[in-house]
Amino acid sequence: MKYMMFVCAEREPIETPAAVQEAPAAEPQNQQAEPEKEADDGSFPWLDEMVSRGVRLDGDRLKPWHMAKTVRVRGDEVLVVDGPFAETKDVIVGYDILECASLEEAVEVASKHPVAAFGSIEVRQFWDGVA
Amino acid sequence: MRYMLLVYGADPEAETDGSAPPPAGTGLGRIPWVDQLVGLGVELHDGAMLRDAAVATTVRAGGGDVLLSDGPFAEAREQIVGYQVIECADLDAALEAAARHPALGGGCAVEIRPIAQQRGDGGPSSRHGDW
Repeated sequence: MKYMMFVCAEREPIETPAAVQEAPAAEPQNQQAEPEKEADDGSFPWLDEMVSRGVRLDGDRLKPWHMAKTVRVRGDEVLVVDGPFAETKDVIVGYDILECASLEEAVEVASKHPVAAFGSIEVRQFWDGVA
Repeated sequence: MRYMLLVYGADPEAETDGSAPPPAGTGLGRIPWVDQLVGLGVELHDGAMLRDAAVATTVRAGGGDVLLSDGPFAEAREQIVGYQVIECADLDAALEAAARHPALGGGCAVEIRPIAQQRGDGGPSSRHGDW
């Protein structure tokens, strides 16, 4: 059965518009704001384990929540607003698509994800055979 | 650029056990939209309907304990009912694709999230990132 893992964490503060547009990644403040990125050596044991087990099919990180756009239709009008749909404390920061034998296995996989230690992971079953 | 489209729809309260059929137009079954994407230069990578958020499981794993809770990570009346991953030249093309999403006609909203694209070749076993 296929499952979606929405990987959720607390909203990061919005960078200044100038920082977002010009992305001066070399600034020391920015490096301190995201120490885990700077410290990354490319290893991701969770991913290695789940890919080798054959349970993790796909997934990626999403860019920061404030880069979202939300589209609605009111009458004949299409409305586009900046920001995510929901005003929630936690936001989706990434996703993984799993193929697991059961919900129990999907929950076990989710519980081992490093973000589960400080954020939360929503596990949702796919509708099978529904396009 | 790759984008995740998150389709939000009204969550039918806690009445459901997740076995109700999905709302129309939230998946890929509406072929006209998929055809339109080709004309917009938008490539559809993936997408699915998800079972109701009411039957989601949210996982937190702090300090060696695994805490499970029923339901989505955020309490809200409207929840994610499906998703698509698209690839296109820029945000304008993604907005154009989202604005024609068939679920909008059913009262859903579509949130567009840029994907960090940390994987190299777009293959399914790519790396997820540096948490």
